[in-house]
Amino acid sequence: MKSIADFTVKFRWLIILSFIILTVIFALQLPKTKIDSDIKNQLPEDMPSRIVTDQIDELFGGTDMAMLMIETDDVLKSETLQRTKALSKKMKRIKGVNKVLSLFELKSIKGEDGAMIVNPAVKRIPTSAKQREKLRNEIKENDIVYGSVVSFDFTATAVIGLLDPDVDDIRIVAELQRIINETPGKEKITMGGMPFTRVNISKDIRGDMRRLMPLGLLIMLIFLFISFRQLRGVLLPFIVVVMSVIFALSLIPLLGWKIMVMTVVLPVMLLAIANDYGIHLIARYQEENFVGNDVTKEKLVKSVIRSLAKPIALTGLTTIAGMLCLLGHTMVPAWQLGVLAAMGIAYALSASLLFIPAVLAVIPKAKPILQGENQEGKVRFLERLLISMGSLVSRWPKQIIVISLIVTVLTALGAFRVEIDTNPSNYYSGGSPVVYANDLANEKFGGSTNISVVLKGDIKQPELMDKIHNLEKKLEELPEVGNTVSIARVVRQMSRALNDEDESGYDQIPQSRNAVAQYFELYSMSGDPDDFEKLVDFPYEHAQVTARIREVSTKQINRVVDYVSELTQDDENVQLVGGFATILRELAELVVRGQIISLISAVIIVGLLIALVFRSPTAGLVSAIPLAISMTILFGLMGFFGIELNVATALLSSIMIGVGIDYTIHFLWRYREEKRSGLRSPEAVKKTLTTTGRGIVFNALSVIIGFSALLVSNFLPVRFFGFLVVVSISSCLVGALVLIPALCIVFKPKFLEANNK
Amino acid sequence: MKRILSLTITILVLCTSHTLMAQDKMTAREIVDNSYETTKLAGAEATSTMTIMDSKGRERVRKIAMVTKLFDGGETEKKLVRFLAPADVKGTGLLTFDYEVEDDDMWLYMPALRKTRRIVSSEKAKSFMGSEFSYADMTPPNLDDFGYNILSEIEVNGTLCWEIEIIPNDEDIADENGFSKKISYIGKEDFVIRKAVYYDLDETLLKELTVHEFRLLDPENMKYRPVNMEMVNIQNDRKSFLVVNNIQFNPDVKDEYFTTRYLERE
Repeated sequence: MKSIADFTVKFRWLIILSFIILTVIFALQLPKTKIDSDIKNQLPEDMPSRIVTDQIDELFGGTDMAMLMIETDDVLKSETLQRTKALSKKMKRIKGVNKVLSLFELKSIKGEDGAMIVNPAVKRIPTSAKQREKLRNEIKENDIVYGSVVSFDFTATAVIGLLDPDVDDIRIVAELQRIINETPGKEKITMGGMPFTRVNISKDIRGDMRRLMPLGLLIMLIFLFISFRQLRGVLLPFIVVVMSVIFALSLIPLLGWKIMVMTVVLPVMLLAIANDYGIHLIARYQEENFVGNDVTKEKLVKSVIRSLAKPIALTGLTTIAGMLCLLGHTMVPAWQLGVLAAMGIAYALSASLLFIPAVLAVIPKAKPILQGENQEGKVRFLERLLISMGSLVSRWPKQIIVISLIVTVLTALGAFRVEIDTNPSNYYSGGSPVVYANDLANEKFGGSTNISVVLKGDIKQPELMDKIHNLEKKLEELPEVGNTVSIARVVRQMSRALNDEDESGYDQIPQSRNAVAQYFELYSMSGDPDDFEKLVDFPYEHAQVTARIREVSTKQINRVVDYVSELTQDDENVQLVGGFATILRELAELVVRGQIISLISAVIIVGLLIALVFRSPTAGLVSAIPLAISMTILFGLMGFFGIELNVATALLSSIMIGVGIDYTIHFLWRYREEKRSGLRSPEAVKKTLTTTGRGIVFNALSVIIGFSALLVSNFLPVRFFGFLVVVSISSCLVGALVLIPALCIVFKPKFLEANNK
Repeated sequence: MKRILSLTITILVLCTSHTLMAQDKMTAREIVDNSYETTKLAGAEATSTMTIMDSKGRERVRKIAMVTKLFDGGETEKKLVRFLAPADVKGTGLLTFDYEVEDDDMWLYMPALRKTRRIVSSEKAKSFMGSEFSYADMTPPNLDDFGYNILSEIEVNGTLCWEIEIIPNDEDIADENGFSKKISYIGKEDFVIRKAVYYDLDETLLKELTVHEFRLLDPENMKYRPVNMEMVNIQNDRKSFLVVNNIQFNPDVKDEYFTTRYLERE
């Protein structure tokens, strides 16, 4: 490591200049960054449920919809209906709205005096109470609207716009807002649907990017100042952080990627981690720059680099490895985050090992603020704490090991209660407009998460029509299902209009193919050709049965999806089973699989790296112990606090391994150094804790404080992510400062002993 | 030969008289009125093919036989349609009474159910038999519902036409008919529509009707029928074609054809 030290000091100006120029070049890329709020784009392209759902969209048109939900005590009151009618008419005229579903657009098919009458569900707005009740009874009979665009209790009605593919969300939401403003009234109107959710996500991503970063930087500045009380101690790590954040963010447009919900974590993560290397350098610099040490600034810098380059490089590598283990996730933002964070940290690592020493070799030597080794003086709080920790560990090492084990086993119980959640509506906490809209859609209009079954065959065949009818019936009976729709339902509705109640064909699928065909012909005489567009395709070869699921918990969605898959498994007519529900179902599996792969690979890679550097397999095993404990505590706490494993929290474990191992590495490195210089184990522990221990504590605190900026994020998973990082890094810190020293004293691992040189 | 000659003279006289009138000072409304008059055929028998094509080019083909006759001094047109193909709807019959002002009466007979049902619908914008043609396109509208303007004179496929703008008088009428503006191209010589362009309620181009071929069926009264026309929906890329394979002018079509009793006779 001598060579690096000499190199940096020799080419200090060149190094400083290159870093500044590079950073400016990368910064110029930032304005090109784009945001992508589409949840679908987070899914891997080869995900089977996504492919199937795209195929269904291809057959029956997209399912993206914009909703206006109108709430009042009775939606059949004439002023409410007037307003609904106006909104429905206006929505129809918005460009990009392909079709409107509302009381005024959906049909009522009924039989009266020997005629089949197809009319809008509400043809005339009632003016008297009598007319109103007549209409109410009519709507209750109308399968097509009751429960789907008007709630069963008549307190809410919806105007739903089915959208053309690739419509601009922002424009649709603005247009919806415009028609709401143009149509004033007493009723409460709530906007909903995917474009609305996506616009909110986009807005909140932007908000998070603008807010979290400055907040994190501010906290970091204060923290660095309190820790080091010297301008260089504040500025140098800070500049490294800023440079690496700029670099990592500039990679997004450079690689052709876009910012997604999870990307908001990136700057904060770098902010918290990227200064670690600088912090250790400054801590060591201050430690060696004690009163009375008269070496030149160049010599001082070289000495710091010589003793720290290796452990810093190692901790950087393990962190990069941990980040890269996010590649085990197939979710697009997860593995992209891994790559971006790894690159950002690599940049921070090189900046810390080259740029910081180069600057320190340029600017004059700092005034010493720490006392020299054998000098009396004021001992600060942290030093006192570390000293007493040292004596605690050296006095009761065995007890510490036992207590750690007990704590671990107890929290492990919580791990069994961890649940998986993949629903994007849970991005938000209660009270947010997105959650309100979702809840309303679930409660009043039968839910918003759909599952679709596509059947192939001669749809006009009564046998197939019966099959569709039976399938729909079974779906309808599930408690989680709020609403179902199929061509068989419409055929039955027509049979009620065409036959009298006492006739055989009433409320039945007709029993000959010709009869079914003639039903459709009859309908085409009076309805719109695209009324059935979402139910059956043009050549009558494919039909779609759609169920909307009312529940948002992934567990319940999984239950429905599994039930439907089982039900349709051996049916030769069933061609596709898809829809958002199946995507969420598969996503849950992907989250768990990604979690397991990234966790295991992170442990193995980090363990191997350490084993390699300390040239001892035992080293790998010993350092895995605090990791295993932190991991158990992490999952245990998630279970106890009811925090779900979701697309964000699933990323935690490998990040935590990559970051949390650093403290152990720094401890072991210094401990071995002290042992080699002839100290006995307890003394080596005390020495390490009071010297490197200080850097480790600063390091961990900076991570904890940095990540705590995430607690004010707009997104619930990101907030939980922040909380869990804080908790798990704390446990890694305690592991490194208490448990590892205890293990060293009790077991005296060979690779740390002096004779192992 | 003599008869043919006299017929030709009659046609010529009639044509010139129309033309003379036109060259005078016909209002846009009179032109449109005349144009509808030319379609009022006393009676006819025909077989036609309706082809409906979706945006992916998939087709549904219906073959129908049809008889029409005017009643009430031309105020009401009665129409009986019988499906010949495809097999699953063969024998299905549709009886329509087109009134000048009131909502139309329609009955559909479904042989598979041996049942006749009246169809009630007031919306003229609705599709005709699932095609891009709407009822409003197929039946004469109430002329008082619209305002008319002559925009220019323009040649369409070699025929000099009036370009006439037709605008619904109010929004309800626009809603009912499904367009905010229609531009018709009506032949100056014969008052036969050659082309029509429809704009949706946002005044964006919606559909385009092209009459590829028409036939003079009642030369004495100058009555025409289009025998090959195409409607293209610009917005959803669907197309419909109506081709009359065979048409016979027959003012003496039996009245009993236009009864539900006859409708149920397959």
